[in-house]
Amino acid sequence: MKLAWYSPTPPERSGIADYAALVLPSLRRLVDVDVPRRGSRRPPRNVDLNVYHIGNNPDSHAWIVEALRRRPGLVVLHDFVLHHLVAGMTIGRGDGHGYLDAMEREGGVVGRLLAHGVLDKRIPPLWESRPEDFHLAGEVLGLATGLVVHSRYVRDRARGAGYEGPIWGVPHPAWPVPAHAPAPVGGEPLIGTFGNVNASKRAPQLLEAFARLRREQPGATLLLVGATSPGFDLDRRLQRLGLDAAGVVREGYVDESRLWALMAACDVHVNLRSPTMGETSGTAIRALSLGKPLVVSDAGWFSELPDTVALKVPVDGEETATLTAALELLAGRPDVRAAMGDAANDLARREHGVDRVAELYASAFEQAAGGRAVEDAVLADIARAAADVGIGPDAPEAREIARQLSFLGPGVGGHGRG
Amino acid sequence: MRIAVCRPQVPFAHGGAEIMTDALVAELRARGHEADLVTVPFKWYPGSTVLSQAFLWRLLDLSEVDGRRVEMVIATKFPSYAVRHEEKRVWLIHQFRQAYELDGTELGQFGPDPVDRATRRKVQDLDRLALGEATRLFATSANVAGRLERSTGLVAEVLPHPPQALPYRCDGYEGFVLSASRLDRAKRIDLLLEGVALQPGLEAVIVGDGPDRDRLQGIARDRGLNGRVRFEGRVDEERLADLYGRCSAVFYAPIDEDFGMGPYEAFLSGKPVITAVDSGGPLDVVHDRRTGLVVAAEPAAVGAAAAHLRDNPDEAARLGEAGRAIAVEVTWDRCIDRLLL
Repeated sequence: MKLAWYSPTPPERSGIADYAALVLPSLRRLVDVDVPRRGSRRPPRNVDLNVYHIGNNPDSHAWIVEALRRRPGLVVLHDFVLHHLVAGMTIGRGDGHGYLDAMEREGGVVGRLLAHGVLDKRIPPLWESRPEDFHLAGEVLGLATGLVVHSRYVRDRARGAGYEGPIWGVPHPAWPVPAHAPAPVGGEPLIGTFGNVNASKRAPQLLEAFARLRREQPGATLLLVGATSPGFDLDRRLQRLGLDAAGVVREGYVDESRLWALMAACDVHVNLRSPTMGETSGTAIRALSLGKPLVVSDAGWFSELPDTVALKVPVDGEETATLTAALELLAGRPDVRAAMGDAANDLARREHGVDRVAELYASAFEQAAGGRAVEDAVLADIARAAADVGIGPDAPEAREIARQLSFLGPGVGGHGRG
Repeated sequence: MRIAVCRPQVPFAHGGAEIMTDALVAELRARGHEADLVTVPFKWYPGSTVLSQAFLWRLLDLSEVDGRRVEMVIATKFPSYAVRHEEKRVWLIHQFRQAYELDGTELGQFGPDPVDRATRRKVQDLDRLALGEATRLFATSANVAGRLERSTGLVAEVLPHPPQALPYRCDGYEGFVLSASRLDRAKRIDLLLEGVALQPGLEAVIVGDGPDRDRLQGIARDRGLNGRVRFEGRVDEERLADLYGRCSAVFYAPIDEDFGMGPYEAFLSGKPVITAVDSGGPLDVVHDRRTGLVVAAEPAAVGAAAAHLRDNPDEAARLGEAGRAIAVEVTWDRCIDRLLL
């Protein structure tokens, strides 16, 4: 079987490009994969299935959506919320009407009016302020002949949005841990957080909670790695909380090698997110591979992590207090950190191994390409037998047969894989 | 207890699964249970027929029969475990191997086109669903359990079953090596024939019949083994017990076998088993230099092992007795106690 894999790939700098580089070698041992180059308008020849990787970044994924429009196929939905992508493909290209139409399609007249507010700069961009309310995934879902998702959260959101096609779940793969020595960063314990520093990564809450922790545990250190988002005044916040260089170690964007070394140095990893676009966190997966205990937001994919590997902090009025309690627990209990780390390592190996992920992908691709024909053939066998005894398509018995046949797949009996 | 033992039936064929399930029904009845065999003919080709046939099992209603409740079903091999029942036990003989480890080999069924690929995946999905429904899951060997766990993530308890009932005995070690299994390529009886050809004076008796018979007889003829290798075809129970009782060793080296009753039959006759490192199920009980000889799947290694046991009857007896100690522990009492627990 041969498929076309539309995705960003290295050297493009994106999480999904890294993802493709990780998965493709194992996948190619199972199926024949052609990777069209970025911007390609002509589909590869003789493919059985077109697979489109869609994320929320317009720079990386706009050309893939355009390819999907030309030729519908299987969509790997890395983020459920695609508002930023759609905004980039409309407003970003001077197509305000396109944005209005997209918002109206999803949010009706209210959506269109809000979109006018965005275009007139009367209200903040909705992809920042209300992304969960206006996901703008409708067009992609409408073009998808099937979906691959990395979480139950995205599956449920897709179903909630009315998607009725087949959905396959494939977990995010874990990177093999490189043989780097941990970076020499002090702290007892060292608490690390990786990624952009901004409000949606709950940086204000984390800084506040860490400041409280440090009053009890003066040896604790917070390692902040990643670019500070525009408009987020980190220095002022640190100053206000009395967090000086002894308590907080700051690094900006780091390369992959440095990233692993810094992650390996940490005793606890914090990975907070709200609102969520439905994404799976590559840094959280790396932390699992390293056998590190996690503190995460109780939201989206993060909620699906087993309790044995992650302490989950609800995004509510008590968020900072709960986060503080979680940090205090892990700071004071090395035995708990060790047990959670062991469980994390086991989870990464068992659920997120690259070969397992490739096998699940191959299964989804093969079923997406040929499953419908198989279902039709089996149904034809059964239908012939049923017709021989006078059971037509409208008979109650036919519905029961369809129900019993639901094990065959999403096209039979009305049940999806997801 | 009313128990339905479920087994697909391949008309006009009779092998290990049939022997095992027939015996299970008889042994359940002997212990006071009301047991019966439920079979549906099974044809697995062409194309998606394998799924249509599985669906037949899915439609069966074995919750009650003639107004009387069926309290348990014991399903055994694909696709009988697709049956629905609230108390479904599965004693797995094997999955549909063409969808798994045989895929892409000459024994495989599914080609590279998308429809064949999808059919194979749907068989795997069905396995995950149907086997996942089992209230208890057993496998006849570590090999079968291992394949199951690798393919579905489901963990089965290993529960071997006794071999067919024969008047087992040990009448000595007369020097010949015995092969008693169906004559098909997967049993690799050609390894034995080629091995005998390499060992002057070594003799073998081949019991059984099957599609590989002509080819095997051709090998024996081409190697000039007439007089040293005897094909006995199908034999009755008394004759089989007699051959087991008199041989020096039993050859049983199929490729990646599910379970294999041969070693148990050999051990109950006090005879060591020659098997191969890639034989699968037999390796649960055939341990090198403890209950037999485990060799490379090559004629020279097989021939040398058989000649060694012929020339060292005391060692053959010691290995065979060690095997007997294992085999006598595998009883229907123990199997049924665990199955019904």
